[in-house]
Amino acid sequence: MSVGTAGRVGTAGDTAIATPMTPSAATAALRDRVADAADGGVGLRIVGASTWLDAGRPVRASEHLSMREHAGISEYVPGDLTLTARAGTTLAEIREATAAHGQLLALDPFGSDEGTIGATVATASAGPLRTFFGSPRDLLLGVEFITGAGVVARAGGRVVKNVAGFDLSRLFAGSWGTLGVITEVTLRLHACPEADESIAISLDPSTGPERVRQLLRRLPFVPYACEIVNEPLSRVIEAGDGVRALFRLGGNREAVRAQRTALAELGDAREMDAGVWRRLRTAEPANARVFRLSRLQTEIDATWAEANAIASACPGTLLHASPSRGVVRCIVPAAHGDSATALAGAFGATATATRIGERLPLELWELCATPPASDRLSAGIKRTFDPRSILNSGILGEPA
Amino acid sequence: MSSSSPSASRPVVAPGIDQSLADRLAEIVGQRRVLFRPSELLSYTADGLPSYRKEPGIAVFPGTRDEVVAVVRELAARHIPFVPRGAGTGLSGGALADGVVLIGLNRLSRIISVDPENCLATVEPGVVNVALSRAVAAHGLHYAPDPSSQAACTIGGNVAENAGGPHCLKYGVTTNHIIALTVILPDGEIVTLGSTAGEHEGYDLVGAFVGSEGCFGIALDITVRLSRNPEAVRTLLADFMSIDSAARAVSAIVATGIISAALEMIDQATIRAVESSIYAAGYPTDAAAALLIEVDGAAAGLERDVATVEALCVSNGARTVRIARDEVDRVRLWQGRKKAFGAMGRVSSHLVVQDAVVPRTKLPEVLAELHRIGQENRVRICNVFHAGDGNLHPNIAYDAADTAETARVHVAMGQIMRACVDAGGTITGEHGVGLDKLSYMDLIFSPDSLATMCALREVFDPERRSNPGKVVPLHACKEWHMAPQARPAAR
Repeated sequence: MSVGTAGRVGTAGDTAIATPMTPSAATAALRDRVADAADGGVGLRIVGASTWLDAGRPVRASEHLSMREHAGISEYVPGDLTLTARAGTTLAEIREATAAHGQLLALDPFGSDEGTIGATVATASAGPLRTFFGSPRDLLLGVEFITGAGVVARAGGRVVKNVAGFDLSRLFAGSWGTLGVITEVTLRLHACPEADESIAISLDPSTGPERVRQLLRRLPFVPYACEIVNEPLSRVIEAGDGVRALFRLGGNREAVRAQRTALAELGDAREMDAGVWRRLRTAEPANARVFRLSRLQTEIDATWAEANAIASACPGTLLHASPSRGVVRCIVPAAHGDSATALAGAFGATATATRIGERLPLELWELCATPPASDRLSAGIKRTFDPRSILNSGILGEPA
Repeated sequence: MSSSSPSASRPVVAPGIDQSLADRLAEIVGQRRVLFRPSELLSYTADGLPSYRKEPGIAVFPGTRDEVVAVVRELAARHIPFVPRGAGTGLSGGALADGVVLIGLNRLSRIISVDPENCLATVEPGVVNVALSRAVAAHGLHYAPDPSSQAACTIGGNVAENAGGPHCLKYGVTTNHIIALTVILPDGEIVTLGSTAGEHEGYDLVGAFVGSEGCFGIALDITVRLSRNPEAVRTLLADFMSIDSAARAVSAIVATGIISAALEMIDQATIRAVESSIYAAGYPTDAAAALLIEVDGAAAGLERDVATVEALCVSNGARTVRIARDEVDRVRLWQGRKKAFGAMGRVSSHLVVQDAVVPRTKLPEVLAELHRIGQENRVRICNVFHAGDGNLHPNIAYDAADTAETARVHVAMGQIMRACVDAGGTITGEHGVGLDKLSYMDLIFSPDSLATMCALREVFDPERRSNPGKVVPLHACKEWHMAPQARPAAR
């Protein structure tokens, strides 16, 4: 066995169904594409639903490798609460398939459900449901990928508990395609609860998210989601005029009723339709600059204050805080005059929170967290999995 | 270190393991903390899996972080392999050192800090699992992963093995609870993985390190996420006249969306062993199987979940469902489960425990196949396991002095593994690969997948000195050439 003999011959005879030992014909075709690019030193940009193409990330690539056709659910046994899908499968397809069995994939990354599962895992994108269900890293059970040297490999498996071999699944989740092209993933599903309700509670603008965090720390349950939205965002998602705490509550009816009663301490609750979460996930206008500020949970008020300072400098900025994670996400509209200067100024002033870019102009990437793949181990891992540096290179801010 | 001259019966040791190394290590950690004589090393020739014995060349027990660093750097300078060890409770032979240096970390047992508001704690690797939960109990918190050995095993060992436990069904395994690590790499460099100060982007090096079975280096400190103690806990014991109906009840409960805190199955042979031991928990000895089910969380609504679970057990054929009346009753019900292996150990001189996972819907057919394998090989397979996540622990009690029986046990164990893999499962859910599962890795991973794992290991440990010979079979690591130019030109 060596990389060079990684099954390039005989692809025509491959079975259609991938097994842990043999990649499918479609995966083999992608592998050949990657191997050719490696031979020629051609930089590839891995593309799912094209969601991230205009995010301003500094990728060095001359060709796109589209995963959109590499789609479809390859295995779904509802009784196992696991699902295996090829990377180009959209979240909408998965939602539809699982809903038919009263189940859900608890991943609701920002953006529409037309995004692909491959990109969701590769970027470790998580939305409001992360509060209860965790991130893609927690839900990913197994992964198949093609390394930058054109080798197809698998890690993890299709069962919900597995410690066989080193945990490459967690390494690939959030690696932004820089270590390999994710071709297939197996994910843990959850059964839909008996009651799944959403409410909005009006907060005094002078009350920061810390009060909500403290309450949640005390209460005997964890909400499915809890996001505090500033007034402009509240209007966009039709939650009312003013700062709102949005909650999604799940469980049996009695439990959810008790949760609502407990949260009444914050203020009067207004019933929200389930669509409020879709509106929140898709609230960002075209060409907006998007980034997150992060600190310890207990410092959420300071982080919220920093975000509000940016919002003051850049009117129309939409903010939402996840109190139990210590994160504030900032959406700065691009239409604002001199917005680049205003944002850069405000960005420079927020010195203490960790900044994580989502969509930014090139010059602001440099103000984000230290290039995350620049330490010795990360650089070594990149070199090992993608020796010619042809996969999404630069997307994590790592130097050429 | 009390040896002045190595015994004549000393087994083969790695080059460089000699009196001069022992003397140098003694300078770092003190004479008493270095063992070099075979008689002294005897206690360190096995872990929780008695079927393997390997004698370390030297065992060294640093007492502080600085001492660990100095020991690792000394070994790096001499290019000498080593094996990190926590409490030695592992069940895969992962902490066995074959003629190399064993580094015992159990003396690093300090809880460095607890931050109850952010639900974080930073500990040294030798902190005993249950000691952390006790230390944070006053804050209404606990450390969720709860392997059966939690009274003895260390958090460092848990990190190495990505340990699980009965309550991981709801709360997740070790990797879901580790936030950050300070690690000394085998070459002596100290690195920080993850961040205690909130989100960050980049490769999940913490996720890669957790479960690396000591092959990536030694954790010097570990920051864990603490979980809130549930407001209420309810424990049920349901007994069934067939294993099949118990397995169907498991599926039905999982499908409701009620995430049980634990969902354990105990078969008849195990029940009888427990009930005839000092750990008797009042399980009905004529039942084919019993389910021990725990639901927890907010008190409001919990009784409804209990009623739902009870109804599903009954509708799937439970003969009786007993709900623990109080904490004493609950602890007693759990004792039967937690001490099952101890009770099994009384049946015969030796006990071998397997650890495989199958898709939950395959439980009935796999359990039937296990029964068949037992009959075919004339060995008695008992099952006590985490049914909620399909994590089987078939175990066989036998007499190791009987070579014919021992051989049959080994054949049966191999067949069990194949049956689980054929059902779409995996070869280990929580015990790790170590030495014991090495030969099964080829069943579930292609040569390329195994080679990829070797390549990752070499980023952390290019000399492959940390816990050599574990996790990935050696043959899979031999021909790995990542660079595309290493591929044959004829294409």
